[in-house]
Amino acid sequence: MNIVINNFSFQPIYEQIVIQIKENIMNGTLKEDTLLPSVRTLAKDLRVSMLTVKKAYDELEAAGFIITVHGKGSFVTNANQELILEEKKKEVEQLLEQAVRKGRSCGMDRQELQELYQLILEDLT
Amino acid sequence: MNLDVNHIKKQYREFQLDCSIQIPEGRIIGFVGPNGAGKSTTMKAILGLCSPDEGQILADGRVIEEWSKKEREKIGVVLADSGFSGYYTVSDVCRIMKKFYSSFHEEEFRKQCKHFQLPMQKQIKEFSTGMRAKLYLLLSMSYDAELLVLDEPTAGLDVISRNELLDRIRDYMEPGGRSILISSHISGDLEGLCDEIYLIYEGKILLHEDTDRLLDRYGVLKATEQQYEKLEKKYLIRKMKGTYEVDCLTDQIRYYRENYPDIITEKVSIDDIIMYMIRGDRV
Repeated sequence: MNIVINNFSFQPIYEQIVIQIKENIMNGTLKEDTLLPSVRTLAKDLRVSMLTVKKAYDELEAAGFIITVHGKGSFVTNANQELILEEKKKEVEQLLEQAVRKGRSCGMDRQELQELYQLILEDLT
Repeated sequence: MNLDVNHIKKQYREFQLDCSIQIPEGRIIGFVGPNGAGKSTTMKAILGLCSPDEGQILADGRVIEEWSKKEREKIGVVLADSGFSGYYTVSDVCRIMKKFYSSFHEEEFRKQCKHFQLPMQKQIKEFSTGMRAKLYLLLSMSYDAELLVLDEPTAGLDVISRNELLDRIRDYMEPGGRSILISSHISGDLEGLCDEIYLIYEGKILLHEDTDRLLDRYGVLKATEQQYEKLEKKYLIRKMKGTYEVDCLTDQIRYYRENYPDIITEKVSIDDIIMYMIRGDRV
């Protein structure tokens, strides 16, 4: 598993951990049923506080990426394929939204945007 | 071990301590504040070295004065300016520790001494400040104590030894069931180690927050006078006036980054927060 923390970033450290573990799950580095390091161990290895790691694990669990079995540890769940797809779709939506906003801010109208979108779709097929 | 310091008060001539701290099992609690703020007094009260005028200290639900000798072995300690006689060698100290603490792990302790290059046969008075600091920190972690009370354990240590010893402290927490109260003037040491931070000033707790909230949510705005006038003041905690700008401490840095993109924002360290909380003006 790869996790690299940027202590100078404005992004909260627990969020950085969440995103990077998700990435590890998405790209297959962390497979289903893999046991994640314990909260204490990961905190020690990343040199962050345990509460930070716990917060990250709680969020991953709430999102369904991992499951914590009391006394055993946290495991990567099997429901990931759908979750990953969902996450990716969300990302696409956001990117499209950004594109539309940017287009509007420089005066592109609906038709222009649609034409451009069609053009790109055709270009890439 | 769970430790609950409940409104302890202690009156000295010019100084009044009035402080509450919770140290839950499994947590590392950082204790910061300027010299003379009351850190050492609080720690001494926890150890039973000074008795508070009011309030009580509960360890796992029981008043600490009732603890037996055996139970007191569950506490490990590093205090500034105290320790073994300078005429002892580390080997002598080992013999004493064996008598004091039934679970003293001599072999492991000797291994650690070797790792941190502490000579066994040299008198402690010949040790450098750093060597002494290493010795006392290693000793506090040598008998499975469930609560460590560490008063500036890293003072006088160079950056490399400091980080090695901080890693040792992290290792020490791994088995679980343990908790630590640690003070330091090098707050960088505390940022990656502690789960919560208490800031004490003039005997009172001025701030108590999870470390990751301090580092993620707190921040500084550097606004011009004009920008400051128009600023939403609700989430500002302290301000400091500079020659050209007003610097403000907030616990909602995201809010200001989103709503005032023109104003310069910076992340803060625990040192910055201490400075603002003590030297800054209330908004």
